[in-house]
Amino acid sequence: MSAANLVYVETEVRRHPRTERLLRRMHQRDVVEIEHYGEVFNPRSQNFRLQKKNPAIIIARKNKGQVLEAPPGYGLGGDHNYYFSHMLNCMYDCRYCFLQGMYQSAHQVLFVNYEDFAAQIQQIAAQHAGEPVWFYSGYDCDSLANEPMTGFSEYFIPVVAAIDNAWMELRTKSTQVRAMLKMEPLQRIVTAFSFSDGVSHARLEHGVPSIAKRIDAMQRLLQAGWPVGLRFDPVVYHPNYRTEFTALLEQIFSVVDADAIHSASLGSFRLTRNHFRDAARLYPDEPLFAQRMTLENGIVSYPRELEREMIEFCEAQLLQHMPRHSYHPCAWHD
Amino acid sequence: MLIWVCALHCEAKPVIDYYRLKKSHDDNAFDLYLGDDMACIISGIGKVACAAACAWIAARQAQQPSLAWINLGVAGAAEHSTGSLFSVTQVIDTDTGQRFYPAPFGASKIAGSACETLSAPSDDYREDRLFDMEASGFMYSCLRFSSAELVQSLKVISDNRHEKTGNNRPQVSLLIQQQISAIDAQAQTLLQLNEEVAALVPASAEWQRLTAMARFTQTQKNRLRVLWRYLLNRNFDAEQLLQQHAGQTADGIIESLQQLSYQDSESL
Repeated sequence: MSAANLVYVETEVRRHPRTERLLRRMHQRDVVEIEHYGEVFNPRSQNFRLQKKNPAIIIARKNKGQVLEAPPGYGLGGDHNYYFSHMLNCMYDCRYCFLQGMYQSAHQVLFVNYEDFAAQIQQIAAQHAGEPVWFYSGYDCDSLANEPMTGFSEYFIPVVAAIDNAWMELRTKSTQVRAMLKMEPLQRIVTAFSFSDGVSHARLEHGVPSIAKRIDAMQRLLQAGWPVGLRFDPVVYHPNYRTEFTALLEQIFSVVDADAIHSASLGSFRLTRNHFRDAARLYPDEPLFAQRMTLENGIVSYPRELEREMIEFCEAQLLQHMPRHSYHPCAWHD
Repeated sequence: MLIWVCALHCEAKPVIDYYRLKKSHDDNAFDLYLGDDMACIISGIGKVACAAACAWIAARQAQQPSLAWINLGVAGAAEHSTGSLFSVTQVIDTDTGQRFYPAPFGASKIAGSACETLSAPSDDYREDRLFDMEASGFMYSCLRFSSAELVQSLKVISDNRHEKTGNNRPQVSLLIQQQISAIDAQAQTLLQLNEEVAALVPASAEWQRLTAMARFTQTQKNRLRVLWRYLLNRNFDAEQLLQQHAGQTADGIIESLQQLSYQDSESL
C-alpha cells in the first residue's frame, strides 16, 4: 500500500458521474471515503517533500469561490482577469514553483463539479457583457497535464466557446494536446506553454517533459489553428543564463513561426516571503534557495540590478524574434 | 529511529524476536525493547495507554533527528479471514468522531482498510472496516512528533464473525509472526524514509558547537541555521567549517557562510 495506490473521495461526490469515470480509470487504487478534502489535505503534520514522490488523488467538490479575481499585474493586459483551478497541486515538481509552499499536502485534489465552475464563468462574463473577460486556468495546477484523467479541456473549451466575450488561457508544461486537436480551434482559447532554459529545466523542473517535446506539442496546436503563447516565467539566474536563454529561443523559433505566437511574457524568479521560506525549509539542500536574494515588499527576488540585467537581456533576445505588441512583461514590482 | 508500538507483549513478540531487540532495564513506566535503529514499546490496552506510551518514548528519544512509527496489533473485522494483514488508511475514533489519515508509503502490497478505534471490546462488526482499541490514540500522539508519512498502523485480523483468537495470546503471536516478512518490508521502507528526513537535519552536537562560537541573536541564529543546513547538505565538512570560523564574531561567521553558500549555489 502506498499513497499512489490510494484515492480519497468525498462522500458527497462518490456517485458523481465524473468521479465514477475517474475511479474506473484508477480501478487498481483503494478508495477511502472522506467527508471533506481538507481532512486529508490540510493537516499540518504532513511532509510535502515525501508526499511529492508518491502523491495520492483526492476527488472533491469545490463548494465556493470556484472563479476568483486575478491578482493585480496578472494576465495579458485585459481589464477583467479571473482565474480558476479545477485541481490543487501539480503532477510536476518544479523547484521554483510557489505550489511547494502553498499547501501542507502534495496530494492532488481534483474538483469534479465542473458545472459550478462553468456557471460562475457564465455569470462573470455576463457582468462584463460587451467587454473581453479573461479566465486563467493553471494557477494552482497545470491546466492540461492530467487531461486524459480529468477531461478538463474537453469540458471547459465548449463552455468558453459559447460565451462571446470570454477568453481563456490554459497554462501548461505538458504535451497533452490530443483532446484539443480533436476539437475545432477557437481564437479565444490561448494555450500558454511555460519554458525555462536548458540548465534550469534540467536542474529545477523535475518530471516535466523535455523542451523539444513541448515545442512539438505547441507546433501541433499551431498547425491545427489554435493560438499558443509563450511564458518564460520564472527566468532563473545561473552563470550561463544568457547563452542558454538564447539557445532556448533558437530551439523554439526554429520550429515555431514567431509571427503565429499569440503572446509572450517573461519574469524573473520571485516568491512571496512565506512561500520562499516554506520552500527553503522543505528543500534545505536546494541551491536555488541559497542564491543571493533580496526581500522587497514581502517578495523575495534577485537583487534589483541583477534582475534588471536578466530581464533586459531576455527581453532583447525575445524581441529579436517577436513583435513588441505580442510581448507582456510580468510587472510585479508595480 | 523506528518505534514499534504494541498494546500487548504477545503482539510485540514476533517483532522483538525477528529484530532481536533487547529489554531495557532502565525503564519502568512501560516495557521497552531496544535495537540499533529501532525500539518497541508495550503500551497496554486502549487508546489512552497507547497515546501515553507514544508521548513517553517520543520525549525519551527527543535527541533523534526524526522518528518513524508503526502501531502493530490485532484487530477485528466482519468477514476478513484471521491472519490477514492490513495497512490502515483511515482511523476513526468512535468516541469523538475524530479521523486521522496515515499516509502509506512504499511499494508494499499490503491491502488498505479503515479502522475504528473503540473504547471497549465489541462484536458489532461492520462490513467495510477493522476495529481496534489503540489506533486513534496512536495517531493523536504520534502526529505531534512526526509527519503522517512516518506514522503507520498495521493490523492483523484476530477476530471475525466466525472465529475469535484475540484472547489466545500464543495464537495472536503466531498470526503476526506469519506476516513478519510483509511487516518487515514495510518497516524497511519506513526506515529508509526516516533516514531521508533525518539526513536533512544537521547533527545537533555540531550545531551546538557552532552556536557556542559567538553570541548570536535569535534572528542571527535563524539565518545561521538556514546556511548551516544548506552547506552540510551540500557536503561541506562540518568539522572543517567549525575550525575555519573559530574566534570570529557572529556577523563574521554569518557573512563568511553566506559567501560560501552564494558561491556554491550560483550554478544551481
